[in-house]
Amino acid sequence: MNKRMMIAPLAGAALSWMAVSLPSPVTAAAPPQGSISERKLAQIVPGKSTRAKVQSILGPPWRVVQFNDCGAAMPDQADETWDYRGKDANGTYRVHIEFDDNGVTHLVAKIPDYVTGGKGTTAKVAPAGAMKSMPM
Amino acid sequence: MTSKLPRALVGVGVSALLTLGLAAQTSAQVYPPYGPDIPVITNTDPPSGAYYQDQEKEPAPNPWNEESIWNMKVEGYNDNQARPVYQPLVVNQDGREILYMGSLAGSALNPLTGVVESNGTTIIDVTDVKKTKFLYHIPGPAPINGSYSQAGAQMVRVCGGNTLPNATANGTAGHWYLLRAFGNAGANESHQLWDVTNPAAPKFVTTVVGELQNTHKSWWECDTGIAFLVAGATADGFHVGGGNTQHIYVYDLSNPYKPVFIRQFGLVGQQPSASASSLPCATAPSATCYEGAVWPPGPVHGPISMGTTVNRVYLPYGVSTDGVIQIVDRSKLVNGCLRSGPAGANPNASADCANNPTQADMLWPQVSWITMNPENGGHSSMPVLNVPIPEEQTNFLDGTPQSKSLLFVASEGTANNCYGLAPHDAWILDIGNDGYNNDTTPWPMSTLNVAQFPGDFCGKGARFGAHAVTEAIYPPYYGKIISISWFNAGVRVWDIRDPKNPKPVAYWIQAPNANTESSCSTIDGATNCYNAVMNDYVEYDDRGYLYAADRAGSGVTILSLTGEARNAILPPAE
Repeated sequence: MNKRMMIAPLAGAALSWMAVSLPSPVTAAAPPQGSISERKLAQIVPGKSTRAKVQSILGPPWRVVQFNDCGAAMPDQADETWDYRGKDANGTYRVHIEFDDNGVTHLVAKIPDYVTGGKGTTAKVAPAGAMKSMPM
Repeated sequence: MTSKLPRALVGVGVSALLTLGLAAQTSAQVYPPYGPDIPVITNTDPPSGAYYQDQEKEPAPNPWNEESIWNMKVEGYNDNQARPVYQPLVVNQDGREILYMGSLAGSALNPLTGVVESNGTTIIDVTDVKKTKFLYHIPGPAPINGSYSQAGAQMVRVCGGNTLPNATANGTAGHWYLLRAFGNAGANESHQLWDVTNPAAPKFVTTVVGELQNTHKSWWECDTGIAFLVAGATADGFHVGGGNTQHIYVYDLSNPYKPVFIRQFGLVGQQPSASASSLPCATAPSATCYEGAVWPPGPVHGPISMGTTVNRVYLPYGVSTDGVIQIVDRSKLVNGCLRSGPAGANPNASADCANNPTQADMLWPQVSWITMNPENGGHSSMPVLNVPIPEEQTNFLDGTPQSKSLLFVASEGTANNCYGLAPHDAWILDIGNDGYNNDTTPWPMSTLNVAQFPGDFCGKGARFGAHAVTEAIYPPYYGKIISISWFNAGVRVWDIRDPKNPKPVAYWIQAPNANTESSCSTIDGATNCYNAVMNDYVEYDDRGYLYAADRAGSGVTILSLTGEARNAILPPAE
């Protein structure tokens, strides 16, 4: 009757230990940053740059977000996003990098924290053939 | 009618509560999911209901980068370490107000530990809303092969050990327990229990069930210990739409140290013996038919049980498409795989009812169901029971005051910039007449809608549409107002005292801040990213504060009601 009834207590404890103790691949927080150079940003190529490549260029991200939800990732929001903080003469901003399911960059944008009127900021994306489509 | 109510039901002096002000403590612990009582809702509207009442005009929102607020006041805030929130839950824990929040996947620095931690469960002391204190972060699953796509810990429920049955014998007296999902859509997800008696130092208790591929929003009755877990594994053999496996696992968690599995359950057509050749029950009833618009029916999202008094569980399926709303008999759900014994036992239960139910096993507890427009799905189904209908307080039927039981249903909007999807709204369903389980087939009564203009919400970036209905089942708001998270249109509040004519009375749209995760979308070949908030959930505490949690990482904001919204919960004389 109860194939789901008993998970060995030791297994549960192990899972808990793993959750608390295993470091994520990002092992240290990025400190508040100054300007992220355009030269470095130009090295991140949508459609080509992997997570490892991005980390080698920019270091560990300030934050990782993955908007999967409700048991399945939504088509246009399934990408893991790495955020980096920066500041230049125009104010603070984030570099926003999205990865596809294969861990390859498909979108890069430098987005000011505060945008007058809340309008959008243009992003650099992978070539059309590599682009994800919007949900239909 | 009030005269027909069970004696166990308890009324609450709303006026007394408000006289004491927001600092007054009233216990939510006697109502579901904590206790068996059901709040009594009294009529405070004139005979015409809301129809002829003056309605304050809803102001247009400010530009997208600014806060917009109507009949609400910001009381407090916590940045939640910039983690994206899925579900907040506020618990009066021995006099302290503790906010538990489940997170979407990702990682961020926990300044309390100095370590970057996978997003999990946040615990914040909000007793003083002006000075919230981040107590602890229980990490979520580590990434797999460098990816967080299967991580996150979105859901939280909390029960007091003193409320759980057999507290002394089970050693739960004086303790508090957290039930959470661990992982979202991976290869080895689970539901876990933690001891949060000291919310600043949680202790792992056990894994309730593991080896799952999906988890989601569960419900835990504290007074019985019965939990309705949303979970699933391919090995279960259930048929669920959208490449999902989510269905219901019923567990007895009255002793958190010794979880006891009871059964699996789902919508007719999801049972392992169903097949792709099945036909719809609506037009071709048979022993293999399915309920709803498609086979296999979509995943269950989050059940709500109204406990032993009402004896009903409300289940939304489909989340955002092909929705079905189902109401089941709680006793028959819990005990329906027993052939004799407690109420709800089924003499004809199949031999493997618990793990491999037949269609007949699945039908045994079913009371009613309704198929939604396939453009929408069942995300929330929140019961508000025995609501007096203002215009039906005299003359109709036998001339006595009439009430209706209602179900607030929301479909989740899932597309950025509205692109590619129909609008996602919320609805009030009429599910029964006077009393608590005088069931009728669900039928729509009214719609709760937020228009895309004048806010131009489809151009704002991120999602626009309904998400979740507030689940707090206690005064002062139950049956008076309802709140629904509407993603980039913020927290939305309706006066529901006349449910045939619900009135928008308040909203709050957070301004994006430096932690707001941008949402990017490609339309007509142009890709743009927007700093847009997404209010994911709004919940209440037992002092009357509202908690607006942001999916985009902008933090949790504590609000109170003012003006007409506050008047909705005041007695007429005030």
